[in-house]
Amino acid sequence: MKFIDKKDFMGFVSALSADADIFYPKVSADTSDWAKWQTGDKFSLDGHRTILPVKYFFYSPQENLRAKKRRPAIIFGARGCDTRGLELLKKIYLDDPEDPYFRKDILMFTADCTSAHPDCFCSALGERPRAEKDFDLNFSPLGDGYLIEAGSEKGKEILRKNSERLEDASETHKKELLNMRAATEKTVNGQNNGVTLDMQKLKEKIETRNAAFENYGKTCVSCSACTTVCPACFCFFLSEGAENKIRYADSCQLPGYARVAGGGNPKKELISRFMHRFGCKFSWRPSMHNNLGCTGCGRCIAGCQGKINFKEALIAVSKS
Amino acid sequence: MTDPYKTLKAEVIRVTDETSNIKSFLLKPAQKFSFKTGQFVQFTVPGIGEAPFTPSSSHFKKDEIEITIMKAGRVTSKIHELKPKDVIGIRGPLGKGYPLEEFEGKEILILGGGVGMAPLRCLLLSLLEEKDKYGRLLLLYGSKTPGDIVYAGQFADWEKRGAEIYRSVDRCDTGEWKEKKGVVTCLFEGLKLNPDNGVAVVCGPPIMMKFGTMKLLEVGYKPENIYLSMEKNMSCGIGKCGHCACGKYFACKDGPVFKYSVVKDIEGIWD
Ligand SMILES: Cc1cc2nc3c(=O)[nH]c(=O)nc-3n(C[C@H](O)[C@H](O)[C@H](O)COP(=O)(O)OP(=O)(O)OC[C@H]3O[C@@H](n4cnc5c(N)ncnc54)[C@H](O)[C@@H]3O)c2cc1C
Ligand code: SF4
Ligand code: SF4
Ligand code: FES
Repeated sequence: MKFIDKKDFMGFVSALSADADIFYPKVSADTSDWAKWQTGDKFSLDGHRTILPVKYFFYSPQENLRAKKRRPAIIFGARGCDTRGLELLKKIYLDDPEDPYFRKDILMFTADCTSAHPDCFCSALGERPRAEKDFDLNFSPLGDGYLIEAGSEKGKEILRKNSERLEDASETHKKELLNMRAATEKTVNGQNNGVTLDMQKLKEKIETRNAAFENYGKTCVSCSACTTVCPACFCFFLSEGAENKIRYADSCQLPGYARVAGGGNPKKELISRFMHRFGCKFSWRPSMHNNLGCTGCGRCIAGCQGKINFKEALIAVSKS
Repeated sequence: MTDPYKTLKAEVIRVTDETSNIKSFLLKPAQKFSFKTGQFVQFTVPGIGEAPFTPSSSHFKKDEIEITIMKAGRVTSKIHELKPKDVIGIRGPLGKGYPLEEFEGKEILILGGGVGMAPLRCLLLSLLEEKDKYGRLLLLYGSKTPGDIVYAGQFADWEKRGAEIYRSVDRCDTGEWKEKKGVVTCLFEGLKLNPDNGVAVVCGPPIMMKFGTMKLLEVGYKPENIYLSMEKNMSCGIGKCGHCACGKYFACKDGPVFKYSVVKDIEGIWD
């Protein structure tokens, strides 16, 4: 493990920008969202997840499917829920036949959360507020610098090339790391009252109609904000451009999603669409891919126009 | 890496009017095109859109494929305007198709309604090609009126080649229909079947699939011996876009043909 002093950090970013576009969480008011780094920009990796997930770096919400020339990219400050979401998307997009337009030239420089958004509930799904795998480099913010762990060959290579900016992690750093991680876990656990959902039970409950769905679903206005901001939602609609196909982000929450010719629509009822999202994330993907379709990032709660608390709905369903 | 979103150019060779709203399009793909019976393709009208169809020609034919298409909406209306020499795109083959090996040595009952006869024609032609491998072959086909029968001129040939054919129409205003009248399930009356060593294959409008399946269960077919073509909204056709979700399955990738036993508990399968 390496350590970089915060005063050397922007120099490190600047050096990397020679070969790649850099993206980082830009803070405004009490939230943060992705911005492309320009010379002179300063940023910190403290804090928690951004408003939007990282998925739109890997494919665009509206995309002409043709070969593109672009520089590789590095995403700084993706959180544990971001990498987990990304791995869930890869199970779909990179499954045979592989989607050739899903980017593979992006390095993930994740960061441990040092705080939590009020809607974060990763702990309730048994996850931790940091990336434990699937990163190239992981940064753990400590008071005056970052501890850096490499998770891939490319990550190691970057550490080697920048060795003059880095020092070896000390015992004190490692102690600070444990304290910082414990403190964040405590925050997330605290705001979720220590709840951990029983996934098996939840899966069984979700497979049948349930009064909790009706209860929570009734204020849904089918706006699709929840799926748009979700790091694990993958649906799109393929359309025709002049020469190539064009792919548009789509949502199971929209009324026309499952419509077939002749007007038939198995998801005409709002409640069946509302349930679709739960089914997909907590029953079908677990059955087919052996993983959830949710990371517990709480973005769908923050974005919901119907003020539906997805976490509370999950708890209610599992208790029903 | 091959691009699963790229279409293969194909030229329209011949357009046949089957009924007032169904046409068959004989296509010549720019390269040999292999598919298994029951697999489907995405038919691209350049600049307009795509829609999924199951070829209706035998899978033994690789230079040309025929697709039978009912005018049902936006894309199919454009398809119906196509003329010989027009160039369109096809993407595929997609999906899994019929497990013909499971049908060997068995009595095969094919139950079709309306334009659902299209994929069933492909199946029927493929089965007739190797008739010796299979047992008795029955086709039960229902249409709204005699004028809605697709492939009207071909039944006699299939019969000659060994298929037993039973047809019904919901109604006939001209009075010139000598076969059965009623919804397709009426064809089961008096029919001797061997569900214990038989399979049934169903394709047609959702309502017909539902009542057809119920009838098959009633006469003794086991859910695992009933094969259904699930018509779901499809966009990518390769298990990425989510539209065709049928419970935990993607109809495009895990289907479109499913055993009834596999999908029977999924909400909304008949909608
Ligand atoms: C595997 C498979 C095989 C098939 N084989 C055949 C075959 O051999 N022959 C045949 O005739 N048919 C077949 N079909 C059916 C055929 O695909 C449809 O009839 C065709 O897609 C209709 O397209 P359309 O654009 O003309 O119809 P439309 O009704 O205009 O459009 C249907 C599609 O457009 C979208 N859409 C249209 N209007 C709306 C709206 N208001 N809101 C939201 N969405 C909308 C829907 O998403 C739907 O996907 C098959 C279908 C499947 C899935
Ligand atoms: S469903 Fe909600 S909490 Fe789960 S990953 Fe998607 S946005 Fe995050
Ligand atoms: S964000 Fe809320 S209101 Fe909008 S579709 Fe999702 S659940 Fe419904
Ligand atoms: S049609 Fe896209 S996943 Fe099946």
